[in-house]
Amino acid sequence: MPATLSPAVTVSAPLHAATPATEAPWSGFTKGLFRFVFLYFVLQIVPLDWHYYYDLAVNWSGFSFGDIFRLAHYSPRFFDGPDTFANWAVVAALAAVGAAAWSWVGKSRPDYATLYYWLRVLVRYRLAAGLLGYGFLKLFPMQAPLPSLSLLNTHYGELSDWKIFSLSLGIVPSYQSFLGLVEILSAVLLLGRRTASIGAFLSISFLGNVFLSNLAYEGGEYVYSFYLLALALVVLWYDARRVNDLLTLERPAVPNRFRLALPAGWQRAARRTLKGGFVLLFVGLYGVKTYAAYQRGPYHYPQTPGLPNAAGLYNVREFRLAGQLRPYSATDPERWQDVVLEQWNTLSVRSARPVVLYHSTTESIHSQDPARSYEFAGSGGRHYYAYQLSPDGQTLTLRNRNPLEGTDTLTLRLTRPTARTLTLTGTDAQGRDLQVVLEKRDKKYLLEEATKTGRRGGLKL
Amino acid sequence: MSTTSFVAQPTPTVPVATADRSGYAPPPAKATPARRPWKPWQRVLFRVAFPFFILMSLPSDLGWYKNLASIDWLHGHYRDVYDLARFSPSFFLKGGGEGGAPALLGYGNWFIALGLALLIGLVWTLLARKREEYEVLYYWLRVIVRFRAGIGIIGFGFTKVFPTQMPYPSIGLLNSDFGDMTAQKIFWLQIGIVPWYQVFTGVVELLAGVLLFFRRTTFLGAALLLGALGDIVFVNFAYDGGVHVYSSYFVLLAAFLLVQDVPNLYNLLIRERYTVPYHYYPRFKETWLRFTRLGLKVATIGIFLVYLTYLEYLNFTFDPYKQPAQKGVAELRGLYNVAEFRLNGRVLPYSPLDSVRWQQATFEKWTSFTYKVNRAHQLDLSNGGGSPMRDINRTFETTGLAGGQRVFYYDADPQTHTLYLQSKVLTGKAGRRGQARAKLEDNAQVRYRASLASWIPADAQARIGDETHAIHPAAWSTRRERGIKTEQKPEQRDRMTLTYRTTDGGRHVVLRGLIEQKDSLYVVLSRVDRTYTLSESALSAGQYETVEQPR
Repeated sequence: MPATLSPAVTVSAPLHAATPATEAPWSGFTKGLFRFVFLYFVLQIVPLDWHYYYDLAVNWSGFSFGDIFRLAHYSPRFFDGPDTFANWAVVAALAAVGAAAWSWVGKSRPDYATLYYWLRVLVRYRLAAGLLGYGFLKLFPMQAPLPSLSLLNTHYGELSDWKIFSLSLGIVPSYQSFLGLVEILSAVLLLGRRTASIGAFLSISFLGNVFLSNLAYEGGEYVYSFYLLALALVVLWYDARRVNDLLTLERPAVPNRFRLALPAGWQRAARRTLKGGFVLLFVGLYGVKTYAAYQRGPYHYPQTPGLPNAAGLYNVREFRLAGQLRPYSATDPERWQDVVLEQWNTLSVRSARPVVLYHSTTESIHSQDPARSYEFAGSGGRHYYAYQLSPDGQTLTLRNRNPLEGTDTLTLRLTRPTARTLTLTGTDAQGRDLQVVLEKRDKKYLLEEATKTGRRGGLKL
Repeated sequence: MSTTSFVAQPTPTVPVATADRSGYAPPPAKATPARRPWKPWQRVLFRVAFPFFILMSLPSDLGWYKNLASIDWLHGHYRDVYDLARFSPSFFLKGGGEGGAPALLGYGNWFIALGLALLIGLVWTLLARKREEYEVLYYWLRVIVRFRAGIGIIGFGFTKVFPTQMPYPSIGLLNSDFGDMTAQKIFWLQIGIVPWYQVFTGVVELLAGVLLFFRRTTFLGAALLLGALGDIVFVNFAYDGGVHVYSSYFVLLAAFLLVQDVPNLYNLLIRERYTVPYHYYPRFKETWLRFTRLGLKVATIGIFLVYLTYLEYLNFTFDPYKQPAQKGVAELRGLYNVAEFRLNGRVLPYSPLDSVRWQQATFEKWTSFTYKVNRAHQLDLSNGGGSPMRDINRTFETTGLAGGQRVFYYDADPQTHTLYLQSKVLTGKAGRRGQARAKLEDNAQVRYRASLASWIPADAQARIGDETHAIHPAAWSTRRERGIKTEQKPEQRDRMTLTYRTTDGGRHVVLRGLIEQKDSLYVVLSRVDRTYTLSESALSAGQYETVEQPR
């Protein structure tokens, strides 16, 4: 049986690939386009914004993982507020002006193969840094933490799309690590010239999903994830044609023939040093730092420890406001329905009083407790208070964590008549007398129980 | 078992190759390049791989052929075609995952296939030692695997393209605590809350499948399939999703399809060498062969893309398979607080700790009623899938959910304003779906009718009507007709008979009647108008709004 599908197709097109595009002189159009693309991406990648350096200098707390993360999270911003594609438009305008000027002064070059090489280097490393920044936060599963007790006791419909997205990832640390591993693997592949396209292909699959998730779940990183996606496309573009030749068109494919000539010894040394430095900072040091942070516990929740042996869900057995006993109620806006004490110094109250919703949909790493908003961001149904215990251990000062809920402060005397009971007496935010008796409940969470026994046994709960 | 080759790097100045449009032929042997012998290990590997992938890719389950034979193509149901697309090797073991304790994590059948393949490979090697290559067989094996994987993933993908696989949460689920769900539930709901994202994931699967139908796009399709399904395998392990075996199946097939081109890619990108792909393709000389090939391809695309699109559209619009299809009583729909609760005449005050008194209640837009109470009960921890035809067996709103939410299916008698409610979770000791089927269907039907007669009065039964025709006529199918009959069998379920009355223009609902333990109940529900933090679904399955309730 002859091995060709259809020799009837006699159109025997000369093989373009035999004369590699990299070696032919570039057309005027290609050169013009390249000037624009080059400037555009250089402006997108190289921080020319003094704010960037100022922020780094001022907020640098000494190679903490948060610092390195911010270092890897740059994209140029010309407008205040949330990141928008308007920033891209400004960059594009600047690049267009620059490209026009460049075309005016320099026309003689046959091509920009060397510059293209360097642009690709820049893009590869920028992309790798971005991927590593998030990759390690996932590898050591911190980006999406396990749900707090309060969040476990929040109605599904009270959570924002983005919060649900994060929590759903948070409940499976192993999967989060896997995603982190994929990100890190893509980044590492991007660091090698020959493996860059494979890394870029992997990144595109990954970042494409990240971008769409951000759009779909109302996340705040859709511009930034698209930015990384654009970088990955630039990297892949270089090899797209030959790969298409090989795989889709099934015709001979010409490999990359460009070799960077670095004649001087110091140039080669500089190249090695820079590469080594990059790996040391974003893989070595950042890896160690994020691992250490993982050991310390989730950075999304406050660090100050809460009352000892108190964490749990509490029934509000008795509730007196201004001397008046309020019975259990699903509708009374003032009566507390249940209370959660976290391992840290958060007390959250479920009540019918509506929550002013606070949103936080971008990844930010805060070192101070008051700025750590994860537990209440995008979550209704409960009011979150940070509490402080007086030195004598008898008085709790509760302050609403949510900045949108106003200065809601309660000072309450604490007693613990039994191991499972807490009483709080004092005044509420309006200065009325408040007396509350809390009783710990033996709440079993299906999320945990089903993990213990497996889903197949069947459970009664 | 590489049938590809790369040639040594030519000097760049010499024009190296001319190729025709299907140009896998390196010059100068343009017409018939000599077949190259394979390495011995490649031949041995192929003799095992060939039977293995054949066993994996062709349906070995008698039920598959039964289904094929029983399809009523004129009155089709998405599940008819879906079942054609969704088979995995089953020899002696039932497929893993959902059903019982699986052998070897559910991968048992793979090992059986491998064992058989090793045996066949051994015999084959003993018999045919002279053969130097298997390009023809390899080509056809790839065709089989390509179409198997393509069809399978399309079947999977379509339930997401028309987002029915992960429904948007019911009101009852929206008002359940996050911690009262299984990980599996949480993951599925996460996809369910954004139908457009679900559509996207479906499109990716569909695209991968379509790309596999064409040999030139096979690599891209397989790479996409490997990436997407590799992720799903991990998701299934992490969230205990129960379909890790079937998703790994696609990873395996995709990996096999990639094998042919990976050496070429490596040569081109990593070694940076000039690479000439060479793939064997058969040429059909005879007309009938050409037409057979064309016919098979057109039939595949016709059934699994065109016809299935139509069926999935019907399913999404009128009969979304995971959520009930019949409309609920329109005036009752919504979330309620329980303002008053009397049991046997005695008033019980609201308490989140009470084991009898209801705390909240919901009427869905379909035929479900939920109440919440602080009492442990038997849970259904399956993933709410399968292919139930009866609304009572569509349990997505209650599976994987605790927290005292009890979900009931109801038949409403519009004349007497009576609801006949049955618990969605079976109360018998085998509290699972898919129990052993009654051997004699007719017998089961008789017993079912008898059990109904003792419970729902005949005149009410007549007014409620037959469930089979309770959906839009366009979505009626032979499979539904048969399925509803088979699923009608007496079961142990908690039952309530309640009359309803709305007051204050629908602000309140009064329910009275007998509940599970034959206690008399009188409750006043007061409507809660609440907005959710979670964004509402912009794309919802089913039709519950258009038709007025019959009087």
